[in-house]
Amino acid sequence: MDNRSRPLSVEGLTVSYGQREVLSGLSVELDEGDIFGLMGPNGAGKTTLIRAICGRVEPRSGSLRVGGDTGKARLRHIGLAPQEIALYPYLTVRENLEVFGRLSGLSRQIVHKRLPWASNATRVADRLDERVGLLSSGWKRRVNIAAAILHSPKLLILDEPTVGVDIEVRSHLNDVILELSGSGMAVLLATHDLDQAETLCNRVGFLRSGRLAVQGAPTDLVREAFGGRKEIIIELRRPAGPQDLMLLKRIGFTPDPASRTWTLLRGDADHQVNHLGAALRKAGIDLREIRLREPGLDSLFRRVLHQGETTL
Amino acid sequence: MIAAMFRVMALSVIRDRGALALAFLLPPVIFLIFAAVFSGTGGGEIRLQIAIGNASQSAFSSRLEEALRNDGTLRVLPGVVTNREEMVRLIQSGRADAGLYIESGPDDMTSAPIRVLVDPGKMLAGAILAGQVQRVIARDLTDVLLARSATTVEQLTGGWSAEQTQRLAAALNEIQRGGGGAGDRAAALVTTEQVGSGEGASATISYYAGAIAMLFLLFSSMQGAATLIEERHAGILDRVAVGPAGTDVVVFGKFLFLTVQGMVQVALIFLAAAVFYDLEVTARPGALIAVTVVASASAAGLGLAVAAFCTSKQQAQTVSTFVVLVSSALGGSMVPRFMMPPWLQDIGWFTPNTWAVEAYYGILWRNDAMQELLPELSLLASLAAVGLVASLAVSRWRLSL
Repeated sequence: MDNRSRPLSVEGLTVSYGQREVLSGLSVELDEGDIFGLMGPNGAGKTTLIRAICGRVEPRSGSLRVGGDTGKARLRHIGLAPQEIALYPYLTVRENLEVFGRLSGLSRQIVHKRLPWASNATRVADRLDERVGLLSSGWKRRVNIAAAILHSPKLLILDEPTVGVDIEVRSHLNDVILELSGSGMAVLLATHDLDQAETLCNRVGFLRSGRLAVQGAPTDLVREAFGGRKEIIIELRRPAGPQDLMLLKRIGFTPDPASRTWTLLRGDADHQVNHLGAALRKAGIDLREIRLREPGLDSLFRRVLHQGETTL
Repeated sequence: MIAAMFRVMALSVIRDRGALALAFLLPPVIFLIFAAVFSGTGGGEIRLQIAIGNASQSAFSSRLEEALRNDGTLRVLPGVVTNREEMVRLIQSGRADAGLYIESGPDDMTSAPIRVLVDPGKMLAGAILAGQVQRVIARDLTDVLLARSATTVEQLTGGWSAEQTQRLAAALNEIQRGGGGAGDRAAALVTTEQVGSGEGASATISYYAGAIAMLFLLFSSMQGAATLIEERHAGILDRVAVGPAGTDVVVFGKFLFLTVQGMVQVALIFLAAAVFYDLEVTARPGALIAVTVVASASAAGLGLAVAAFCTSKQQAQTVSTFVVLVSSALGGSMVPRFMMPPWLQDIGWFTPNTWAVEAYYGILWRNDAMQELLPELSLLASLAAVGLVASLAVSRWRLSL
């Protein structure tokens, strides 16, 4: 697809806050129906990229096109569902959708025509006449998305849409996002939820220090990074002592700082897992669990983050 | 555990410079302003601004004028008006709190030679001026007072012979008993008259209807405008910013709503004044609506500007409380400005309350022509425009942060 007709085309984008460069020559393209997972640690530049796309910060260099348009004209192709529930709690769902439809430039007649489509696509049609303030957080999240799509944007930006919601709500939201993507809308999904990204996104990008360190289809990225290798994961019953630490590191395990879990990537993991478990127990390491799994996005991004690999 | 919580609260205040200033700087500042405003209401420090009129052109009137100008307790407008109508205009326009009109010399025993003219809405000013004039005469024009007394006595006794002395005693006894002869006595030296038509109560209601209307316009606009901060924090402005109109449409929409809301509030206040105090509010609907529109718009603009500049709702609440209280106190919404020290009266001209109160009073009591209301209307409209533009600019700027 030509950049001039893509829902999103960012080329060599550089954004600075004073002397600090937050985005450095970033490039990314989204085609119709793409769900692009934008990930990265806090402060990596996710919010700045969204703000730049939405015209809130002026790039120092690079180009930005949304729906083929540049400048302010590109904004009409964007639908934004912020991380917060950006709705009026004293208004009903219908009233909120009418307000945000009008504020996105639609006439009253067109809002009334689009409202059934938007409420059905986000599955809030049953609650149209209820006040938003009285809805549960899952319903509010869906209304938050509905309010962003009334004008049928080419690019839908979802900023952490599943933060603070339970598994069931997340599953519902995933269905909504897939449905919108199916209608041709490109979705830029900023998330820390790697499971959601892996399940939902046909492409992901991992931002680190203002650059997309890796970018591509999740399965391709994982395959390229790990090949046929698998992860042997062990979980300790108690924190590792100095001798245990030395042993685990000598074998090649890498620790997860947030838990007592250690990971070892091996090409022959299938054959090694039983032997390794026995050897570690014999060496006095108190294992709660040892298991084998195929690497996923979390493995990839942990590796990018901790090992500083920019090319895989 | 209680100490731990105390420590949290203390550190939170100490480390938040804004909260620190508001917690410990604001109370004494508010106290100083209110002390200055209300200390004058006891009467001792009221320095009235008065006009002097002189129809008699006598030596007495010149001496009295000079004595009053030299007396530090009054502020006498420069010049002397020569007819009563001009003095009434000065009082009704608010340039003079009261007027002193010298109609004749002290030898006029048929009517009071000195008249204090006062607006019914400022009856206290008349009483104060009458007292001050009598004090000045007693101190600086003692001969006049004695001559007038002697004339009075002479009228009562018919001369100063022994027989007359007896008659004087008898007459004084008769006066003491409250009997006859009162009709022969000289008129009072100073008398007080209201200017304009109607009763003092109506003037006071006219004044306070406007004063309270502006006070509540400011309060409700500040509160309503604070939703701008909530919307900023809730991400609503982020969402709207990608729309074709950007955040301007939010600010304009709020401005319009707050203006209309303010007009309804003012209408309710005047309705109550009309129903319960028989205030005539329908005589000049066009002027009343014009002032109400600009007064409501100015409060809306000011409220939105405060909300745009403040980063949190708590901050906005504190700042708006400060602005409303100070503006209302200095602007005459709590106590008439003529009762304040002159320097505070001068500061009061920088508040929208003063302009709104003057405009409403001008319509409801003085019956000012539309042309005479133009300064107040222009100032209120300018404040509305400045507030609106500031809130638009700051809201746009905040989105780029």
